[in-house]
Amino acid sequence: MIFRQLWYLVKAAGSNLWTFRGRNLVSVLIIGFSFLVIGIFLALSNNLTYLGQQLSNNLAISFFLDKNLKAPELEQIKSQILASELVDRVTFVSSEDALSRFRANFPELREILDNLKSNPFPPSYEVKLKDKILSLSAIVYFMEKIKGLKGVVDVQFNQDWVEKMDSLSRIVQAVGFFLGGILILASFFIISNVVRLNVFARKNEIEILRLVGATNTFIRIPFLLEGFVLGLLGSLVSLFILFILVKVFPIYIGSSLGAARELFTLRPLTTEQGLWLVAGGVVTGTLGSVTSVSRFLRI
Amino acid sequence: MIELFHVWKQYQKPHWALSDVSLEIRTGEFCFITGPSGSGKTTLLKIIFRELIPTEGQILVDGVNILKIPDHKIYRLRRTMGIVFQDFRLLFHQSVFHNVAVPLQVVGLSPKEIRRRVFNALRQVNLHHKMWDFPQRLSYGEQQRVAIARAIVNNPSILLADEPTGNLDPELAFEIMSIFKEINQQGATVIIGSHDRELIRHFGDKIFFLQKGKIIGKEEKQ
Repeated sequence: MIFRQLWYLVKAAGSNLWTFRGRNLVSVLIIGFSFLVIGIFLALSNNLTYLGQQLSNNLAISFFLDKNLKAPELEQIKSQILASELVDRVTFVSSEDALSRFRANFPELREILDNLKSNPFPPSYEVKLKDKILSLSAIVYFMEKIKGLKGVVDVQFNQDWVEKMDSLSRIVQAVGFFLGGILILASFFIISNVVRLNVFARKNEIEILRLVGATNTFIRIPFLLEGFVLGLLGSLVSLFILFILVKVFPIYIGSSLGAARELFTLRPLTTEQGLWLVAGGVVTGTLGSVTSVSRFLRI
Repeated sequence: MIELFHVWKQYQKPHWALSDVSLEIRTGEFCFITGPSGSGKTTLLKIIFRELIPTEGQILVDGVNILKIPDHKIYRLRRTMGIVFQDFRLLFHQSVFHNVAVPLQVVGLSPKEIRRRVFNALRQVNLHHKMWDFPQRLSYGEQQRVAIARAIVNNPSILLADEPTGNLDPELAFEIMSIFKEINQQGATVIIGSHDRELIRHFGDKIFFLQKGKIIGKEEKQ
């Protein structure tokens, strides 16, 4: 009997979805639009994160060394550098390498070098930091530690620039959380109101069911299923439109942004983000539906 | 047995829709509640199936105080009742068949049994040939008969009807009353709110006269 009733309820939900298809289509579009806004924000945020990673990938620190260091001392400094978790790889640049690099990069200054009797460039270790590390304090601590080693004479690192990047990243994150929070809240209210209107339009039906002896669960289940389907379809619509936007945006709008193009590029959502968006749609649709029905179950 | 003890109902101060109504309807009785428009017939019926809660008073149905039944268990009471609403309360996006089948679907009967009972109920009200029509395509009187078929389809032990023949021609009204009488003879208690004197005189075993929310008289056939 329970399976029979469940089957009846599933059929009722399907029939209601089809009977009120116009109204349901509007609900799906509104849910889709709400989640599209969140999706666009996520795509922009993904891009900023990506840019941040790209920049951090290019971060390198140069430790200039005493010219008179012997191989074992150089090895010791290298092992100290490699001991840090921040370090991805270390490259030794000898005085000769540095000189030839300078000659290649600044050919117009060749004469000055020719006038010098000795090679002015000290040997150095160029340290490439690991990806996804932007904790400035950790980098500064690491630099200070290595700089204190015997044989290390100087360090070159654009701390000011990194500090700016660091604070920009924090601002982007804070704005992201703030805007994202507002958008998610707003979407939830929009969606639950859309579903509520949907339920309100069928308040007579709920009343009739109550008066002919339907249990609250019997009345709720079709609405719950309908909310689930509307939420699912809405979030899938938003993902589909977002997919098209990601493909089309660079072609039509991207070129007009000029230098800002890099910042305003939409980067596709990860599978995890996509699944969260769908889950969000399903939960919002279902919850909105169930809470809206409850107010009519007191007859 | 349905018993009302000092039932008062107020929608808006200072008017009372029902004033100190006490009555007793025994199991198997065919009973009319009559009175002019606005006398409280509909309110009284709604209180019996607990669509409305009285402002004061108690109601017992088969010994159970229905005002003490929690909201989520009220379906048990309603499954024992068949109700014909004054405004029919039909699902206009569903066929006649589905409208009549609703009380059976909520109790989980098999599709075969539902088809059999719905067909029988519709045949009783002479509407079986319009089983797959939608209510908006039916006349007012036909819609009323769909509402009646829905009320009798689950063989209720109590049948409540609010002006069930209000829009029917006298011939059909008599037919419908005969159906109610038949259900009554099978053991169901029937309570009808009506001001059709002809029908009341012909069918009523027990009649309560309401005026301005008060019971001003009672007649019982011996």
